[in-house]
Amino acid sequence: MDKEVLRRLEKENQLQLTDTQKETVLAFLNQQHSQLEKLSAIDTESVERMVHVMPINTVVREDVAMQKFSREDLQKGAPETMDGYWQVPRVVE
Amino acid sequence: MKLMINEGSAGEKRVALDDLILTKDLPTTAGSKMLDGYVSLFEAEVATRLQKAGYTIGGKANVGEFAIDLLGETSYFGACAKEDGTLVYAANELLEKGEVCAALQMDVNGAPRRAAALAGQYYVKPTYGTVSRFGTIPVACSGETVGVAATTAETCRQVLAAVAGYDEKDGTSLPQSMYTQPKDIKKVAILADITAAADADTQAKVAAFQAFLESKGIACEKVEVECMSAAKTAWNALMAAELCNNVSRYDGVKYGYRTPNYTNIDELYTGSRTEAFGDVLKTMILFGSDVLSTNNYEKMYDKSLRIRRVVAEAFADLFTKYDCVLLPACAKQRYTVEDVKADQYLACQEALFTAPASITGLPAVIAGGVQLVGPAFSESSMLDVAQCYGKEGK
Repeated sequence: MDKEVLRRLEKENQLQLTDTQKETVLAFLNQQHSQLEKLSAIDTESVERMVHVMPINTVVREDVAMQKFSREDLQKGAPETMDGYWQVPRVVE
Repeated sequence: MKLMINEGSAGEKRVALDDLILTKDLPTTAGSKMLDGYVSLFEAEVATRLQKAGYTIGGKANVGEFAIDLLGETSYFGACAKEDGTLVYAANELLEKGEVCAALQMDVNGAPRRAAALAGQYYVKPTYGTVSRFGTIPVACSGETVGVAATTAETCRQVLAAVAGYDEKDGTSLPQSMYTQPKDIKKVAILADITAAADADTQAKVAAFQAFLESKGIACEKVEVECMSAAKTAWNALMAAELCNNVSRYDGVKYGYRTPNYTNIDELYTGSRTEAFGDVLKTMILFGSDVLSTNNYEKMYDKSLRIRRVVAEAFADLFTKYDCVLLPACAKQRYTVEDVKADQYLACQEALFTAPASITGLPAVIAGGVQLVGPAFSESSMLDVAQCYGKEGK
């Protein structure tokens, strides 16, 4: 893990770290990498991945709305709105 | 120290809700600046069931940002600590002061178990899928559960009974037909290698609980299960990966914090997330993203999912010979503000004690400052032991 990879991760996750934070985060990530490396000592070649902890798979239900909210309600917590729309800076130049 | 982020109603049967459990009348912040003041349009199923059973929502207890930390120290509203610097968890402190009779807590990374053990209280982390997560702020969905803390095991049992059960609104909710009858606890395995990683005072707690169990005719044996410690590393990776995805929704557009300093959409996204998220959360987001990246997916994420099965099978093997396992819930008996300043990622290390139950979805009960982990649906049997300890063991 190096600064270049960290820069990419920051960009992908829309985050910006200070130089001090970068040092701390890099040290943490390298520590986690080395701990994850140690897992290779456990042979999992023939072990199936366990995505669900209980024997239940993706559950589907009828495509019927269970909750109905008005536009006004949904926009109550919005940082900025205009004429019933969420307002953001220009996206398409 | 801010124990309640928002006060709820008065009443004899007041229950505090961790501030990741959505309520319509009170804001829900997840301990984050991102959601400061956010009010949900709907409430969590557990909140609805709680009130139907005659309990009142006493308020929203302060939690660490998205509940992934040690003891709430990363909360935007400040850590809860005593004058001598000892960290306390808000919900447990509210119980200690008698302000609420119970607390519903989000167990994402073991903080409620750790806190109950340190406070000498009781806590039940139910079998994954038996308590609805509908209306809880998602963090690490594949392992997190809503649990109950109280000053007696009986109260834990009563409140759990009020909120548990199938909920069609939660896709991971287990139908009641899948529940199995728990066995009485007659034989307990003590996870010796994990216990040995705790300090002398904590090991003494385990020894004292073992003595209590043996005094009740419950046989105890020390076992060493090498793969159990791998649960920590694997859970840290899975939790970070799921967290990274779950908090990607917070972008300053539809709700939550928006930076005032932007001239374009990228600055809006980046500024909002950078200003609103705390240091530990940012680190875990980046770690999760790293785990899920093309280069690391196989060796980190996929490997952790396989380790999850290895740990689950190790537990299943133990449960053919024992009715539950006994281990500490934390490494020591006191954590301070200084401890988390010195190592802000301490929770990742402490996951050694809590990750085995988190990664497998198995139920756990805290009593006497120690942790019992049992097979799926065995919380009732473990609460029997805890209740007996409460009456005779102290």
